[in-house]
Amino acid sequence: MIFLYIGLPLAVSAVLPLVGKASKRVLPDILANAALAGLLVYAATGARALLAQGPIVQQVRWLGEAVNIRIALDGFSLFMLMAIQLVSLCVGLYSINYMEHYGAKANYYALLLVMVAGMNGLVLSQDLFSVYIFLEVAAVASYALVAYGLGAEELEASFKYLMLSVVASAAVLTAIAILYGMTGALGFDGVAAGLRLLEANTVTGIAAALFLMGFGLKAALIPFHAWLPDAHPSAPAPISAILSGLLIKVSGVYAIARIFYHVLGLTPALSQILMWLGAVSIVVAAFLALGQSDMKRMLAYSSISQVGYVVLGIGIGTPLGVAGGLFHLLNHALAKGLLFLTSGSVQQATGTRNLDEMGGLAKRMPWTAGTNLIGALSISGVPPLGGFWSKLIIIIALIQSGEAALAVIAVLASVLTLWYYLIMQRKAFFGKLAERWVKVKEAPFWMTAASVLLALLVIGVGLWFATVFSTWIQPAADSLAKGF
Amino acid sequence: MTFQIILLVAMLAASAFAILAKDLLKAAVALAVSSLILGIIFFRMGAPYAGVFEISVVAGLITVLFMLTIALTKQGDDVRESKTVKIIFPLFFIVFALIDLFVMRGILARIPALEGAAEAGTFGEVLWKERSFDLIGQLAVILAGVLSVLALFRKRDRHDHE
Repeated sequence: MIFLYIGLPLAVSAVLPLVGKASKRVLPDILANAALAGLLVYAATGARALLAQGPIVQQVRWLGEAVNIRIALDGFSLFMLMAIQLVSLCVGLYSINYMEHYGAKANYYALLLVMVAGMNGLVLSQDLFSVYIFLEVAAVASYALVAYGLGAEELEASFKYLMLSVVASAAVLTAIAILYGMTGALGFDGVAAGLRLLEANTVTGIAAALFLMGFGLKAALIPFHAWLPDAHPSAPAPISAILSGLLIKVSGVYAIARIFYHVLGLTPALSQILMWLGAVSIVVAAFLALGQSDMKRMLAYSSISQVGYVVLGIGIGTPLGVAGGLFHLLNHALAKGLLFLTSGSVQQATGTRNLDEMGGLAKRMPWTAGTNLIGALSISGVPPLGGFWSKLIIIIALIQSGEAALAVIAVLASVLTLWYYLIMQRKAFFGKLAERWVKVKEAPFWMTAASVLLALLVIGVGLWFATVFSTWIQPAADSLAKGF
Repeated sequence: MTFQIILLVAMLAASAFAILAKDLLKAAVALAVSSLILGIIFFRMGAPYAGVFEISVVAGLITVLFMLTIALTKQGDDVRESKTVKIIFPLFFIVFALIDLFVMRGILARIPALEGAAEAGTFGEVLWKERSFDLIGQLAVILAGVLSVLALFRKRDRHDHE
């Protein structure tokens, strides 16, 4: 029953505000996290067994009658579902302590669950218009979550995000309208079949450009990135983690990959455009990250840079490249989720995000410092952590397909990544403990627990990368490469 | 055809006025006029349902909401807009018009289309039976909207501003 991925979070989010009236903290905490945990367990166990016979298309039944809700699960969507549930659960656990001082926790969880339902729906739908609708579901929830702190900075960031997101939606909708006008179909396979019959390259190219602009804005690829460095740092830390770790990938990268591989078809020209968009994002955002002194802003620029790697990998178009891109997507989701959580712990303990004011915090917050270091090393591509393997695979795939220049860029940018993460480590955690931080305490239990859980996952993916690769990444890459 | 062009030009003029007008009330009215004309265009092009929704919801309901919001906003709260809008918008407008004239016309004429299948059933059948999954998505959007309002207009006494 894969509809559960959409139905359960929506149902729980609908009752949460009422539950919040009865119990302000405990019940919402339990209910939301239980829902997320249930979905994770289902993704890890149940859905895999279902998928063993091949891609599933499910027709939902309601009161014994078939309703026209067709959702599909294949290797790629299952992989995305797994990543979504994994990071969401850690974020949910972290929120137990972190969201305490924001108030209205039940509402917060409800919005979080709507966002999760939106992402799940997007991943499961096999119809262009449903993709658009679920894109909006996740986006509307995320606007409110970015502004959740209600400060001037948060509201401005949220408004900027909203405005650029609307442009993205308009571009996506125009592209869908063009394709629907030509083929009279909205389903992925229907549109793809229609396009094969028509051979309308110019118009398909225009639709592709509009999709690229729309989803590129959602994925915050350079030059469409202006909203992200404001929106992601302004949100509460767990929301930053889910936005950077998941949302830009689901509503940007997943949609690009799905539509370009399964609907429009990845032409060599499109492949080149994707690779160069990725490469430019990697380099420019890495340089921008270097100059930041705001911890979360540095992480936000790093997200743009790392999404560049994912797009670069997927853009290569070879099975190995796609697998590398998807593997990096998972590694980045885990590690960046972790880094935003630890940055939240630091911000809550010290009251600042300014790296120049910190120093020596490792002595007072050993767990936070340790887990932060693990996340940073993984993203920078230090062996044996996950990020190393995925970057290695992308670089090998680039060399195999004769893109040596891009491979060199990818390697050099990786050094830049290590550089700015070391700056972060040195300024925040290493060195002498400043006088004013003597009284700083380690983050509360659930915040630390969520960070440690993610850190263990980052290490686990790195150490058992062969198993992870063959059970999750390879099936995903295969189903992406061959289509429905 | 001429009538259609007159309608389109009028719609564009109303939209441009909505962006350029300083008075919010005038801008809201201009927007309503623009979507009213769009509704008429929908009717004329054989999409009566889209026309009905455009006129009743966008021209009607949303305009009422805008008016109410403007009426409820206190005086002295107005934010000064930057002057660049006055320069940038016409610039964009002219560029888009030129693209439209020279590029899009040529392309639109050449958009091929498959023989469209006959409309399957009535509007209601399409909405409820064909696009059921979208309805769930729309419910979720409404839910997200309600929750956003609840969250953003909550009492913020417990939040400590760093």
